[in-house]
This record gives sequence, C-alpha cells and structure tokens, in this order.
Amino acid sequence: MMLARVADSLYWIGRYVERAEHVCRLSDVMLTATLDRSESAAQIARIALTAVGDPDRAARPFDAAKALVFDQEDPGSVATSLARARENARQVRDQITTETWERLNLLHLRLRDPKAARTFSEGSQAFLHETVADLHLFKGAADATMSHGEGWRFLLLGVYLERAQLIGALLEVCFGDGRKRVLNDHAALTGLLRMGCALEPYLRVYTADMRPQYILEFLLLDEDFPRSVRFCTARIEEHLSSISRHVEAASAAGPDRLAGRLRSRLQYAQIDEVQAGGPTAFLGAVLDECAAVHRAIYETFVAYPLEQHLPA
Amino acid sequence: MVELGVAKAERAGSAKAPAAAAPYDEMKTARGAVRPHYSALSRRIATLSPDELSERQKTLERFFLLQGITFTVYGAESTTERIIPTDLLPRIIPSEEWSTIEKGLMQRLKALNMFLADIYSAQQILMDGVVPRELVLTTPSYRREMQNLYVPHGAYANVCGSDLIRQPDGAFAVLEDNLRVPSGVSYMLANREAAKRVFPGTFRGAGVRPIERYPDLLLTTLKSMAADWRPNPQVVVLTPGVYNSAYFEHAYLARLMGVPLVEGRDLVVHDNMVYMRTTTGLRRIDVIYRRVDDDFIDPLTFRRDSGLGAAGLFNAYRAGNVVLCNAPGTGVADDKAVYAYVPEIVRYYLGEDVILPNIETYLCREPAQLSHVLANLDKLVVKAVGASGGYGMLVGPHATKAQQAEFADALRADPGNYIAQPTVQLSTAPCLVDHQIEARHVDLRPFILCGEKIVVTPGALTRVALRRGSLVVNSSQGGGSKDTWVLDGERPRP
Repeated sequence: MMLARVADSLYWIGRYVERAEHVCRLSDVMLTATLDRSESAAQIARIALTAVGDPDRAARPFDAAKALVFDQEDPGSVATSLARARENARQVRDQITTETWERLNLLHLRLRDPKAARTFSEGSQAFLHETVADLHLFKGAADATMSHGEGWRFLLLGVYLERAQLIGALLEVCFGDGRKRVLNDHAALTGLLRMGCALEPYLRVYTADMRPQYILEFLLLDEDFPRSVRFCTARIEEHLSSISRHVEAASAAGPDRLAGRLRSRLQYAQIDEVQAGGPTAFLGAVLDECAAVHRAIYETFVAYPLEQHLPA
Repeated sequence: MVELGVAKAERAGSAKAPAAAAPYDEMKTARGAVRPHYSALSRRIATLSPDELSERQKTLERFFLLQGITFTVYGAESTTERIIPTDLLPRIIPSEEWSTIEKGLMQRLKALNMFLADIYSAQQILMDGVVPRELVLTTPSYRREMQNLYVPHGAYANVCGSDLIRQPDGAFAVLEDNLRVPSGVSYMLANREAAKRVFPGTFRGAGVRPIERYPDLLLTTLKSMAADWRPNPQVVVLTPGVYNSAYFEHAYLARLMGVPLVEGRDLVVHDNMVYMRTTTGLRRIDVIYRRVDDDFIDPLTFRRDSGLGAAGLFNAYRAGNVVLCNAPGTGVADDKAVYAYVPEIVRYYLGEDVILPNIETYLCREPAQLSHVLANLDKLVVKAVGASGGYGMLVGPHATKAQQAEFADALRADPGNYIAQPTVQLSTAPCLVDHQIEARHVDLRPFILCGEKIVVTPGALTRVALRRGSLVVNSSQGGGSKDTWVLDGERPRP
C-alpha cells in the first residue's frame, strides 16, 4: 500500500533518470564521433539529434550537445530531467532512502552548478562520463538500499518503460522506412551500438561483424541484454504483475494484460519477420503499446475513479 | 526555509535603552572565566587553528547540502537553494539548569491545555474573571467550532515549541508559547547529526543527553490520541506541499516515523471518514499530524479559498472519526495578550507559581497600563496582538519621533489591540564568524509533546543572530541555528 501520488512520483523519477542517462550517452557518442570530420561522423550526429527530435542542429554538434545537457528551457535536456526527477524525489523524500536521495541530489547540484558549463566545455567527455556513472550509482543505491517492494517497482517501471521507448525511437531513426538508404557505415553502426551502451555485449554475441540486421536484432530482441526492448518489456511485465497482485480491479482493465501482450510480441518475434513486414510497422506497434501501458498504469493506480473504492 | 525566528524584530533591544544590563554570556562568567560545563569544548577549540575550524564548518555545510536541508531563494534571474546558516560550536546547558527548564515547560503546557479544555467547554476561568472574557472570545485564533468537542486526554496542543530567552541575571524566561504548528525540530535533529561528525571526541566525553528518540516519541504521542476502538491507528503527516518553507521538516518527520506524508489532494472525506488515495484504493486515516494552519485545513469550515486541506475534514473530526493534532483553536492560548495572563492561568489550574516567568507585559486595554506605555514609547516594544511576523510593531528605542507619534494615535484609537514589553536582552554564545570565534545572541526553542503524558526532549533548537550585535534570530534576517547539548550531569569522562 502506498499513496497514489507517491507511486506516480516514483514512476516519474524512474522515467526522468533514464531519459537523462540516454541523452548523456547520445551527446557523448556524438561529440566523440564528431572529433573527426568524416561523413560517418555527420551521420552519427544526425542520428543522435533526430532521435531527440532536433535534426536541424546537426551542423553544430558541440552547441547542440551543450543545449541537450544544460538548456533549462528544453523539456528533454539532462538538466531539466534531473531537476524534475529531484523535484519528484523531494516530494517523496520520506519514501526513498537517504543513500538514494543523496545521489540524485548530487547530480542535480552538479548540473545546476554555475561552473558546470565551463567544466563541460573544457572536457565534455569527462563531464558526461561522470554524470552517467553517477546515474548508475543512483540506480545501484536504489537497488541496494530500498526495499524491493511496491515503491521500488514503480521506480523501475518508469525506468524500463522509458528505456523501451527511447531505444525503440532510436531504432526507428536508424532502421525505419523513412530512411533513404540503409545504414551501412561501419563507424555509424558502432556509434549506434554505443548510444545503446551495447558495443561490448554485442561483440561478445556477434563478434566484430557489424551488420545492420544483427544490430537491430540485438537491440530489439535479445533476451539478456538490459537495454534491448525485449528485456525491458519482460521487466515491465514482471513489476506490473507484482504490483497488480494487490489491486482487485487492476487485472481486468489491466496494465498487466497490455504488458503481457507486449512482452510476448517481442519474445516470439523473429528478426526475419520484422524485416519482412518493415521495421517501422513493428516498432510502431511496440511504441504504441508502450504508450498504452503508460496510460493504463496511470488510470489503474493513480487517477482511478473513486466510486469503485468508496465503502458502500 | 523553516521560519526559524517568528520574525523577532521586537527582540531588537538596544544598549541605549535604560536598565539594559550586559547580556549573559553562556560560556564565560562576568570575570572572564570559562564556566565548568564549557571547559572541555573551550579546550578543544583552543587546539584548533582558524583554518581547521573553517574546514569543520565546511564539513557541516556540506552535510546539510547533501541532505537537501535547504530553502529556496527566488531571484530575478535564477532560483538557487541555500542551506540555513548553521554554526558548528554547540551551545551547552548543564543538567541542573535543564531540569528547571523541563519542569517549567511541563507545568506551562499542562496548564495551557487545561485552559484550552476549559474555554472550549464550561469556561469556568472566564466566569471567575481570571482572564477577561472578551479578550479570549474576540481573539481571531479562538475557534467557536471547537466548542464542546471531545479531545482525548484534554491534549489540545500535542506539539509545543516554546521560545525561551536567558535574561542578564542568568534566569530563563518564556518569550512565547507556540501551540499552533511550531517548526524547527528537524533542525534540532539535523544539527545533532552534524555536530557528532564535527566534534566526535568532545561529544563522547561530554555526556550529552540523546534526542534521537523524538520521532518515536512523537509517533507514540500521536497514536495515544487515536480512539480506543482503533487498535492500529493509521497516522499521517499533512503538509501544505513541497513549496512550503518547512517542507523538509514534514518529509523528515514522516520518514523517521515511518508514516505517509500526505497533501490535501491525497485525502478524501466520505461519510465523515477520512481516507487517503493509495495505489490499492482508499485507506482510512485515524490521526493527522497536520502542519497546515487552522485557516486552511477545511474549506467548508474555515477559509473557503483554501486548497491545502480537505473538504469535510473538520466535520469528520467533530464526528470523532479522525483526530487532528494539534487541535484547531490552540492559538488562543499563545495569543500575545493572553500570554500576559499565563502566570495566573498556571495558578488557577495548578495552584502553583509559574516556574518559567514571562517577560513583563503591559496590556494597553487597561487604562493605567496604557498611560504608562504612552509615556514610555521610546523605551518599549509595542506589538499588535493579532499580527505576527514582525508586522504592526514599534521598536521604541529604534523608532523616530514621527513613528512613535503615529503609534501613539493608533494605541489611543484601539488600545485593546496592543501590548507592550521592555526591550529584551538575549544571552550570547560563542560562534564561528568569518574564521574566528565571536559572541552572538541566542535564544532557545525546546520541544514538548503532550498526548497521554507530557514529554520534554532533552535538547532544543538554539537560534543565533549571526550579525554582530543583532538580536534578530529569524532565518530570513541573518539568523542561523546551532546544536544544543543538554548534559546528563554525571562527572565528565576523560
């Protein structure tokens, strides 16, 4: 049992933290790649910026990255995401452990530091690397110190749902039908894997053989890689069914029915079929179902109609 | 920001005022010798260089920043967060002095709760003419809605945070009894946690009485207010929300008590029962430790424009289905004019002399006292009874002739609305200011709990006026706080 508002806040902390991490990683890969002035570097910048919805800025990757990290007006920037995550954490300060809170608070303070922009300009790689490392520490602290009960599950629901959607959107940019030609550049493919933090795990499965189809398969359908869409949907289902056990009304209208369908869609898909039907159709269905799960969570646990619950 | 000071510009005494003796120094006697209970700390400080002291001060500030114990400063261009200024040198109170304070606080709260129970039922004290009837009944904080309502144990004020000051002769006196929604207890606890990191050795040797049980005692107090037929009462803390200056404290107490922190929007009142919205439906609430002012707890009963409480909450309270702590209407007992009668109130109910005296107070509603006040406007502090936060106030020694004349007119026009007090001299304690140790004025806010029984936590929030010579301990005006060590009275350990 926990307050509906608190569950909602924990869920959003998860989403914001995951979003911040993803944007940091995209920025980092983009900045590292564009140290070369090659065509593949430009392509990587385009992929990264299209994935965050801002393809026009690809000509000036450094400014674009700086804005992605610090721009407080931009609702998707790292600074905004972390400020919102922390604001939510402040509102549920009684629900998260001090260890977890401290990590998030530190991250927020680092991004808000007036000297941060200079530190970034002097060494963006180190700055982003540290930020991502601290985000990992946050998740680690949550895992190691919070009770693995309802609140923690709502936090992770937010993390995995956000991750499934972000990776799904990134794959859509790289493999969707909207592309004029197939992404086949070796450096760009490596960049894509880095954006999904997937390079090393990929190499262990497919060796250094960079093929678009393998990469799509790995990021979409791999069972064990924590950033594959399939892995995320399996966790979403797991956490939702655990939370729903206590809610009588939940299963029927249910987010867990939607989550189960989504999980099985990915679990039983084959890459040949996905390719045959066009990745856009498949990814579109996955993203739509993620959005449906998100809505169902809100309607079932947070903004449910009171009439069902009032004592007679 | 927690309103650390209840805006005490009125404390701004002045050396110019006549009869202002030298302030009491907490650490040293008038002859300059270190008082015995300060000797260990004094010796420890002497071994530290200014740099080492500043280093410790930084450790302390970092602790507060990391914990998120901050308040928000809204600026024109950017919004920043600052920590409440905190001083690293503890203020020390020996055990025999504390035992007087403790007895005095318990006596006062006991009598004030009896007073509240009386005026909200038979009003015997008003019939006997000990306190003037119209004074009590016309106070805005008197709540007619509370009349003849059963309050368990007669405990109207469950949490009290009195403001004490130490007078030049060394005796403590009460400046104000805070019985509404007193704040600052989280700073008492956080200061202690920080002080243990900064002076571990001195702390260990000093024999400081622990205060860490406060959240536990608070929960016990709140549970003791629940109805007998609800064996496992659901307690919650009600906060106005994250933008409230004391939000940190609300979350802190909820976390340490292990109870939900709710906002008005989490509550649903149905059929005179109060519920909170949880992920698994509605859950009944038994006791609400509310940190929302009387005016805002229920738009149906009190202010209609309030969105901070829950509609129907007060009726549920009247029906006995939920308990509000503190009870609404406790403010009538810490009203500035009623304050003047506290010694008589104590005598009336308990037949005892008051242990902790008041500051001398002139009630302008009495013609003789009014003429005395008018004749001495340049020496006195005049306060409007209904106002707080430093508004509607004249600090005589610092006021111009024109301001005094203006106030004299106001006094004659509506004398019942004013009281006057002599300027108050606060004691001083050593503080670290700009890398060196200097004396600064301090007051003392201990916290008293009252449910089935009365408990005083052996510690307090010591508020500091960090500006030189200032007597204003308010956090918005350069005030800070420091840890307060109450010693256990045994011989110091090596």
